[in-house]
Amino acid sequence: MNMTTLPEMRDLAQQLLTCEAAGGKTSEPVGSATLRVYEKLRTRLGELAGTAGFQSLASRALTLAKSEDPSLGSVRVAVDGKLEGMSAVESPLNAEKDEIQEGGVVLFSRLFGLLLIFLGEALTMNLIRDVWPDAALGDGNSENGREV
Amino acid sequence: MSTRDKVEINKLPTGVPGLDEIVGGGLPEFSFNIIAGAPGSGKTTLAHQLVFANATPEHPALYFTVLGESAIKMLRYQQQYTFFDPAKLPGSIRFINLSQVVLKNDLGAVLGEITKEVEKTNPAIVVVDSFRTMVRTPPNDMDLQSFIQRLALFLASWQATTFLIGEYAEEELRDNPIFTVADGLFWLRQTAERNSIVRKLQIIKLRGQASVPGLHTFRITHAGLQAFSRTFGLTARVRNPIGQRRLSFGIPELDKMLGGGVREGDSVLVAGSSGTGKSVLATQFIAEGIRHGEPGIVAVFEERPQAYAERAVSLGLDLETPQKDGKLTILYLRPLDLSVDETMHSILDAVQKIGAKRLVIDSLAGFEMALSPGFRADFRESLYRMIFALTGIGVTILSTVEVDESFTEFPFSTYSISFLTDDIIRLRYVSIDGQLRKILVVIKMRGGNHAKDIREYEITSNGVVILGKRLTNYQALISGLPVHSDRSTQEEEPCHDSEFKNQP
Repeated sequence: MNMTTLPEMRDLAQQLLTCEAAGGKTSEPVGSATLRVYEKLRTRLGELAGTAGFQSLASRALTLAKSEDPSLGSVRVAVDGKLEGMSAVESPLNAEKDEIQEGGVVLFSRLFGLLLIFLGEALTMNLIRDVWPDAALGDGNSENGREV
Repeated sequence: MSTRDKVEINKLPTGVPGLDEIVGGGLPEFSFNIIAGAPGSGKTTLAHQLVFANATPEHPALYFTVLGESAIKMLRYQQQYTFFDPAKLPGSIRFINLSQVVLKNDLGAVLGEITKEVEKTNPAIVVVDSFRTMVRTPPNDMDLQSFIQRLALFLASWQATTFLIGEYAEEELRDNPIFTVADGLFWLRQTAERNSIVRKLQIIKLRGQASVPGLHTFRITHAGLQAFSRTFGLTARVRNPIGQRRLSFGIPELDKMLGGGVREGDSVLVAGSSGTGKSVLATQFIAEGIRHGEPGIVAVFEERPQAYAERAVSLGLDLETPQKDGKLTILYLRPLDLSVDETMHSILDAVQKIGAKRLVIDSLAGFEMALSPGFRADFRESLYRMIFALTGIGVTILSTVEVDESFTEFPFSTYSISFLTDDIIRLRYVSIDGQLRKILVVIKMRGGNHAKDIREYEITSNGVVILGKRLTNYQALISGLPVHSDRSTQEEEPCHDSEFKNQP
């Protein structure tokens, strides 16, 4: 796997962010679409891997994302796995409109890339579908390999 | 109370080939079980097989992971096994990590978390992996005992079949409250024997049903665990009545010496030194069976099936066609780290597949060498179990064994196993008239009488051919160094026991 994010993982990240952005318009949104996607993933993956397990995975994803999108430089993953500093990075205007932020796309595509490497496509997609059962998600056929 | 009024305990499949038979038909539903053993003994893989075999959307499984192996890494590795079905996650199998609760809170909080998840999911199967890390440093034994009892009571009440996985040493077996509360205790072992690894499992305890006692070997392959029962999976099988038929070698003179042939269901030992024709005789026995519509198995250890079949061609016997027709299987059993139970499993599978009536083991020495060193010490006992099991289902076994030629002794086998065999045919070299010639004698036939003749034979392009009549003009033939007597060679009928002669 090369430095750039896999297109399939970007598509998946964009679909989930779109899904949350749409949901945010009909219900009362809490934070940006990016943070809502992140929190849902933190809850589900934390159940599977534990807080420490999720925290280490998210940290790795963020480090990889920062190399692709330097605007994420001030964002960090706290000890409890929560994402800190994202609201400062996202464009206030876009966040208010709940539009998809590039930083979120890069971060999630890296996180999904890691899941793909460790768990494979079937389990990764099953986990994501478990969190977003109503989202119409396409299967991303991706090559395996270590993130660099 | 009649039998019909008694509660019937449902049995769940283990998902492990061979294990259902060992545990007595399956795992008791709603039981509280411990899977114990050292690291690397296969505990987690066994638990996964149990879960994947039973979990459904209607009867889901909860798999609690605690400190120790990361759940993500565990799933990464476990999905390499063929039994792992990703489609079952997370709908049928849900993994929940409890490490944070264990690190921050006491056992009461852990019980609370398990209770909450169980009440939410209503699982049919619950696994806690590794349970040991959760209770390694309890405040005191009473707390631990109370925790275990409450957990066991709760999970049974919620109709969950539970498996706690723990790393335990065998000396911890005594006075441990966990083992007292458990309905089932599965112990996995992995020991090194010289350069081989031997895996064994034991059902130390299983309430409510009879499991097969003793240590059972198992192997972990790409398909997960496969267990090999000490009873070879034949406990439930009805033993066939002893047949009355006599099976021919296709060598009329030898059949005559055997009183008409080998009795069906017998175990025959053909003993002799190198080059005396043991394998030739064995091949003729199998080929003759196939000619009479009796499928056969040849288990070879010292040469490849292709070489074995090619050698048969030189004797005018075609083993290729019956293999293609499903009438013959030549099993080449992987050398050096086999257990007798695995060997038996392979043989039994082949027997069942083609409905074999005759089995050749060529040779016992090769068989012994193919075993892991740890099993060689029990070779005689294992042979006994194997022969008893196979002849019990009506298979006639012919084993070859090489014996060191001695001119002062007349041994039948180096294994002292003649008591395991019904019939013994001994081949040996003798020095006669400046030639190294071969003689054959039937030493024993358990099921009847046999010729006492010592007959000379040759190995020709037609296989073993018995020459002329019995050798009457030599004394001390079985010593290998006979003395020419004054009696001339006479044409005589084979001599049998009087009882045989009197048979109708």
